[in-house]
Amino acid sequence: MANAASGTAVHDDCKLKFLELKAKRNYRFIIFKIEGQQVVVEKLGSPGDSYDDFTASLPPNECRYAVFDFDFITNENCQKSKIYFIAWSPDTSKVRMKMVYASSKDRFKRELDGIQVELQATDPSEMSFDIIKARAY
Amino acid sequence: MYGGDEVSAIVVDLGFHTCKAGYAGEDAPKAVFPSEVGSIDQMEVDDTDKSDKNSGSALDSKSKGKRKLYVGSQDMGFRRDHMEVLSPIKDGIVVDWDMVENIWDHALSSYKLNIIYLTCYGAISVPPPNIKLKILLTGRKCLLIDPKEHPMLLAEPCFNTQLQREKSAEIMFEKYQVPALFLAKNAVLTSFASGRATSLVVDSGGGSTTVAPVHDGYVLQKAVATSPVGGEFLTDCLLKSLEHKGLPIKPRYAFKRKEIRPGEFQVVDLDFPNTTESYKLYSQRVIVGDIKECVCRVPDTPYDETSYSNIPMTPYELPDGQTIEIGADRFKIPDVLFNPSLVQTIPGMENSLETLSFVRGLPQMVIESINKCDVDIRRELFSSILLAGGTASMQQLKERLEKDLLEETPQAARVKVLASGNATERRFRVPLVYYNCNRFRLMLETNLSVNTAFGSVGAYWHLLVPSSKCGSPSLSEFSCLSPHALLLQIYIYSRFINLYAVVMTGMKSMELLISNANAPNMLSCSTY
Repeated sequence: MANAASGTAVHDDCKLKFLELKAKRNYRFIIFKIEGQQVVVEKLGSPGDSYDDFTASLPPNECRYAVFDFDFITNENCQKSKIYFIAWSPDTSKVRMKMVYASSKDRFKRELDGIQVELQATDPSEMSFDIIKARAY
Repeated sequence: MYGGDEVSAIVVDLGFHTCKAGYAGEDAPKAVFPSEVGSIDQMEVDDTDKSDKNSGSALDSKSKGKRKLYVGSQDMGFRRDHMEVLSPIKDGIVVDWDMVENIWDHALSSYKLNIIYLTCYGAISVPPPNIKLKILLTGRKCLLIDPKEHPMLLAEPCFNTQLQREKSAEIMFEKYQVPALFLAKNAVLTSFASGRATSLVVDSGGGSTTVAPVHDGYVLQKAVATSPVGGEFLTDCLLKSLEHKGLPIKPRYAFKRKEIRPGEFQVVDLDFPNTTESYKLYSQRVIVGDIKECVCRVPDTPYDETSYSNIPMTPYELPDGQTIEIGADRFKIPDVLFNPSLVQTIPGMENSLETLSFVRGLPQMVIESINKCDVDIRRELFSSILLAGGTASMQQLKERLEKDLLEETPQAARVKVLASGNATERRFRVPLVYYNCNRFRLMLETNLSVNTAFGSVGAYWHLLVPSSKCGSPSLSEFSCLSPHALLLQIYIYSRFINLYAVVMTGMKSMELLISNANAPNMLSCSTY
């Protein structure tokens, strides 16, 4: 199914894996990439993985989309989780790649129903753990 | 049918100061040349002409029909008697489409196209009347492409009007017969080029400074802030300031520099009484613009006369070998961006901003623009402020803007000003040339139906058929067809014209070659 902005389609697997993350909590994170005109799943993180494992899985010179399931304890001491969508486009990646990812993002995000927080990051400091925490509450 | 990466889209950005053109997906524009155009009236000045000119702007372009236009850095660099320098753009809006066509001609390629035009106007069996080889052979183009084969992306300013878009589309489809056209807001392109769908784009170009919030790929029109303080304005300030200090800038054409002995130069002043005032100003601006780029720097704190009075001077060598020293002006001129009221202290520029009370400094524009946006996205906008345009690549501008914003924003906001790593990229407003052709391609493949999914995109997608002079079916005959069929038909139609042109020129080219053997630029005919 070709779609809007950039002509990038979304592979069904992306939606299925995201549903598993959301409903069954099978994965800690999912990393997506655009390959041959469509968004596909690149990597799945096991539920035991930490945030550092997640950031280490993002390539330093290439753009990616990622979904991260963040567990935290609120001020009222109750266990909660939030699903983050992160558009990772480092400054050092190719401009063409940045263009494709930025223009396809809106559409792809709409496919993933249930995202609570959205971030765009161009360097690691923009998606540091502190920022993730600050956005959770 | 247009798909495939082998046909790359052409991107053209006509800015106030420079016009940039190149292929989509490349790192830098192929052609960069001034947007200003030199014009010589071919017509002898007579009374009817004068009265025509006074009768209104609509007639204006017609009455100037016989003027000769010079486009491009090379042509503009050469002084000609009575050549006026005119700009097709005023306040960000195109006022003279004739010039714009000439600029586009220069950027793309015109000779093939003009052959088609000629054949269109003549009947098949009759040789086209009034062949003007002159037009055929203006082959000093930058990209040398056939616009019929490439989809075209035009970058437009955020505040472009419907009328302007229609006119651009009309020229692009009718004159250049591009297979597809897309007009994109340059703020959106800048934003995408940095990998963000949401950002605040601060575009400080030649003619103006625009602050535009982009959210998920759309410009939030109501929050766009503009100011007339741009690169040209700063250049004028510097020019006036230097003149006031008794340092007149001698245009390059006004002197000759000879090496009389090795290492020793003699400057001979030349006098050209027929040079126009506007060309003199243009040549001075070229020099002063370079001085500005070389020595100017945004001060770290707001400029004040006393603390900068003892600043060390920076030398700059003018083209005539004279060295001038620039002191406080190095900091004062760029600070006009941040504090426009400084203009009043620059001699000769006091009244240049009549509406000074409406012109705000850069940080105020940013804050005002963000405050007009929805509360939910303000935080994100503050943390991704993108700099674009030539003036924004001024030294220390990023740091100063960041600092000023930090002082004036709410505590919770995380201010981050981003500028693309390399000054060239920023200067060419990064976005343009990198625009991926995918978006484009998809629109072509799935045709016009995509538009609805896009909302506003539909508004400036125009498919126009060549004018009826070519004997084409009128627009209404097409309109009953589905979009797909329409596109296909136009495609076939343009193929037909192309073929026809080749046949016609095949027959005619020998004659033309013979009859115009003395024409200097004859070579380009041989392509046929």
